[in-house]
Amino acid sequence: MGSEVRMQVCSCLRTLSSSRDSGEIVHALRTLTRYLEDDEFTRLHYTRALQVLVSAQSSHWFNRSRGDDDEEEIKKLWDEIFLRGPPDQTLLLLLDTISSTGACAGLERCVSVLEKFLSTGRLQVLLWSRCEGGGSYADTPQLREIIIGHLAALPSITSNHLHTNTPDAFLPQQYYSLLAASILDTLEKTCHALRAGRDCSLGFVAQVLGKVCIQGYSSQIFEILAPRLSSLTRVDPLWQRVTQRLLENVPERCTECVITGLIRCLSGATAASRLMGNLVLTNKKAQFVLTHKLLLQQYQHPTRLVKSVLGYLALDPERRMLLKQVLRSVCQVWCNSSAVKHTSVEQQLYVSKALLLCVALLTDSEIQELRQEMLQCMLGGVQCRLDSNIVRIRRMGMAVGECLSHKLDTPGSQLKFQYEPDEEIRELKALMESPSVADDDDDEEHQPDASSSLQPEPKVQGSAGRSVTSEPGRGSDSELDSDDDLTPYDMSADQEKKESSPPRYVRDCLEALMSSDDADRVELSLQVSDSLLRKNVKATQEVSVQFSKVLLHLEDRFNTPRFHSLRQNAMVALTVTDIKPVVDYWTTEFYSLNYNLRQRLDILEVLALSAQELSEPIRNKHTGAQPITAATAIERCDDITHWRQIVEKRIQSKTRRISKGATQPVKAVPNCYAPVAGFFFFPLLRNYDRSQVTFDLLGSDHLVLGRLLHTLGLLMHLAINAPVASQMGRALLDFVWVVRFHTDQMVRRGVMFAVCAVFLSMPSENLLTELGDDLMETRAWIADVAENDCDADCRSLAVQSLILLDKNLKSQLQIPDTET
Amino acid sequence: MFAVACSDFIRRTRDSAVRTGKLLQNPRIKITDVTAVMSRPPPDPLFILRGSGAAVNTLHFCCGGDGPPFLYSGSGKGAIHVWNLTTRRAEHVLESHAGNSVIWLHTFKDSSSLISQGRDMRVCVWDLSEDRSTVTDSLLTGSVGFSQCSLLESRPGSALLAHPTEHMEEVSVVDMRSWTPVCTLKPDSKLGMLMCMKMWQADSGPVLCAGYEDGSLVFWDVSHRRPFSCLKAHPEPVMCLDVDVCRQKGISGSSEKILQSWTFDDQQNLQMHDSVQMTNPGVSQLCIRADGKILATAGWDNNIRVFGLKKLKPLAVLQHHTDMVNSVAFSDHQDPPQRLLAAGSKDQRISVWSIYSES
Repeated sequence: MGSEVRMQVCSCLRTLSSSRDSGEIVHALRTLTRYLEDDEFTRLHYTRALQVLVSAQSSHWFNRSRGDDDEEEIKKLWDEIFLRGPPDQTLLLLLDTISSTGACAGLERCVSVLEKFLSTGRLQVLLWSRCEGGGSYADTPQLREIIIGHLAALPSITSNHLHTNTPDAFLPQQYYSLLAASILDTLEKTCHALRAGRDCSLGFVAQVLGKVCIQGYSSQIFEILAPRLSSLTRVDPLWQRVTQRLLENVPERCTECVITGLIRCLSGATAASRLMGNLVLTNKKAQFVLTHKLLLQQYQHPTRLVKSVLGYLALDPERRMLLKQVLRSVCQVWCNSSAVKHTSVEQQLYVSKALLLCVALLTDSEIQELRQEMLQCMLGGVQCRLDSNIVRIRRMGMAVGECLSHKLDTPGSQLKFQYEPDEEIRELKALMESPSVADDDDDEEHQPDASSSLQPEPKVQGSAGRSVTSEPGRGSDSELDSDDDLTPYDMSADQEKKESSPPRYVRDCLEALMSSDDADRVELSLQVSDSLLRKNVKATQEVSVQFSKVLLHLEDRFNTPRFHSLRQNAMVALTVTDIKPVVDYWTTEFYSLNYNLRQRLDILEVLALSAQELSEPIRNKHTGAQPITAATAIERCDDITHWRQIVEKRIQSKTRRISKGATQPVKAVPNCYAPVAGFFFFPLLRNYDRSQVTFDLLGSDHLVLGRLLHTLGLLMHLAINAPVASQMGRALLDFVWVVRFHTDQMVRRGVMFAVCAVFLSMPSENLLTELGDDLMETRAWIADVAENDCDADCRSLAVQSLILLDKNLKSQLQIPDTET
Repeated sequence: MFAVACSDFIRRTRDSAVRTGKLLQNPRIKITDVTAVMSRPPPDPLFILRGSGAAVNTLHFCCGGDGPPFLYSGSGKGAIHVWNLTTRRAEHVLESHAGNSVIWLHTFKDSSSLISQGRDMRVCVWDLSEDRSTVTDSLLTGSVGFSQCSLLESRPGSALLAHPTEHMEEVSVVDMRSWTPVCTLKPDSKLGMLMCMKMWQADSGPVLCAGYEDGSLVFWDVSHRRPFSCLKAHPEPVMCLDVDVCRQKGISGSSEKILQSWTFDDQQNLQMHDSVQMTNPGVSQLCIRADGKILATAGWDNNIRVFGLKKLKPLAVLQHHTDMVNSVAFSDHQDPPQRLLAAGSKDQRISVWSIYSES
């Protein structure tokens, strides 16, 4: 019997590969088609037959002109053999052919038959064939692996060879949707089979699912699977069992991708609970992923996912044990001060969210049980966050502290901080308010409805939209009796008249600020002081230091509006009007005793702003305000242009221009800052390591240190093109070197900013000589920061300075090149 | 009572003198105020009339006739300027009231005669026809108070004039044709000095609304010499009032920040209606435009404010003057787009504006 089939098949194949007569070919094909039902043929000869068909048809069949009937017949039979045979062999052969043949007519036939293969539901047949009968299908492990690999990677295999000619059906979005639908179909068949009392095995399907997910297509496949499974499991416990079984069978190394992808596409904790059952208790890997990895190691997931995970843990009494365990570990991470320093803000936010969600899910008795841990977590965590210099972290600490205290303490003794809640904080606080897991079941209820009745939905929305738009129209009609037809003009200039008059002389102003108890007078004095000081240069210079002292010690006793900016403006006006004495005063006071942090920060801000103002290019308008410096600067400016013109002429006469497209460097313009930059800069570096009783720059006052570094960087940057820039750069690099590994992010940001400023402003030839031996070490340090720092700002600044450094290096090293 | 009022007046004058020239104008616009950023900036004055030589106390438009439109202004030194609004020049300057301050001006509808009230306790009638400028009649009122007179022309040729008298709380109404007193109106209770008044023709006969020093408003039935009703509208003296007769609605201003509107029914019962808060206290004068859509106030804070009449919605703050504004007036142009608003200030200037005149 067996040999007879083989004989027949052999002769057919021989005919097919050699014959040129269409009649014979049709006959042979018909014979083969008949054998498709035969078990032996499909097992032993099918692949061979397909190979012959593929190679034969590519060589000569379809090229010749022939009667239409025959051609149609041959095509039909040809397709039929492919589409009715065992799908696994067909798939493998077609994919192999596609990946091994170059572009030709045969390839096109293969592609089109593969498209038909997909569209006629052969994938379902393939999956189901491995499912039914309790996994009795005898495959070797290798073959099974190959089939799974081909199934999961069809889009990659085809598009690797077809490039832009890939049909739409093979693109990931469509193919994985189809695969998901096939899986659903197979699961449905499984359910039917189980009801009929037949055994099924989900191992193969689970492996396919795992393979797809591990290749990164979990979102495409679960977009289809998750909502359907969620709605099917709601009504049918058998579906629940099948789904849970499927997830249990997923290979261990794929568990993480599958679970993450699934939860990401599910709409709530109850759905997760229906689909996963107690998987977290039985599967160690799943437990690790759900209780540790998703919450504490990763932080890119949306809040919805954290909510689902924690809700899932809370829904079952057996799993609540894990919830408590999660709370303990989250608490530990949250109150870890080294984690606060060394993890990024985003991750801290994520952990905070997890903590709050976790706490919100606990019952009162559980909270009592965990009270000690939570209290410790709250105290430690809030404290180390309040120490931070980053506003976002401080605020986060305060918000979470308040929420925890709200749960733990009696109403009288709860924590309460003063801060302006922003969007992030409101979101955090909202997490505490929607604890019940059942809530999200409601909005989930709508989703299947929406997906099942896609047609009526848009209409409903449309009518709703129309009714909404019509409403305001009716509303405005009723307002007949109003002045609305008259549009008001801008009335912002309408302000209250002041009873007392502003001072007109600098000394009056000083007097008022020094001794006045009249709030109005102080406010008016502050308001006019800026313009007064700038207008009366002579008078200002007489009292500048005294005025500076008064302003530095001025306190906002009367809650004056815009007090800080007015005071700051006045301080800047003083500095730019009488530069040297006032700057001397600021820099001395910065390191002296008995100032609070605010005052020291004020000094830094004023220095930075003044330097910025002075570094504006000189215009004629300014000469009135700053007669002395401006006059000298203008002389210098004349000098420079004169000198430059001569040099320029010489260069022009000696060079031959090949192309004129070279980018011109930014032109240096004379300004008032360059001659005095040293006064601003060096005194600030003088005493940083001499710690005072009230001021320890290298110790606890790292906030000031961070700002000092920023200010120095800015002063450095503004001194670009100034002769003193090289000395400044060298001093700043020395200073930065001391504090480069500071634990505070603000300080590190300042360090990177200062380094950037140096690289940007220092002439490159000086930079290389200054860096000298340290060059490689510096570069390695910056590269390390760019790669490993936990703060995003630090990293980007480091990248920037690396680029600047390399640019400098390149420009320096190119000079010998051009000369030779 | 008089001494109190006088010292009050002097104090106010001094305060406003202190304010003079030291006005702090903050040019910066608050960026936070989104509506302010979005709305259009207030308009500039159409033109300025300079040269009155003293504080401008009162203004009166006369644009209805065949000739060019005129604006009459009375100054603090007794000069009445007749401004031609086409040429924007003063055509005549009438020296009147013996150099005393002119506090009120009005013209008659039919003839080219002018009536003026001065601080020399006199009311004068001027004949201005054919370039004449002679005083044809004069009446000694004996009043040293603040109140301006009010003129009611019921029929051509016959007019009633309400004027304050030497008794501080009293109003006297005289027939202009014969200068015969019709009646005197004196409140029974002590309301203090008469501050301002307005007379008009109601269905029942001439009606007069008067504001008093204690903040009360009294509605007088002139023909029966008795009050219809009384309303305590302000805690401070009523500085000025105006009435929109068609809508039976009036507005009064005081020395505080509140502008108060009130209504009256056919039985002339007064009722509080609405109020609006201003930024700075004190209104010298207010004026409702003839179409009853907007009103303007002359503020002690040097600003002219424009409000919608229906809901007292603030519409504009016109800043130009550097001293307190004494008087505002809307022109009586027949053609709406030509309508003007004029304001006279203590800084000796008259600003002329065109605002909300399109509709």
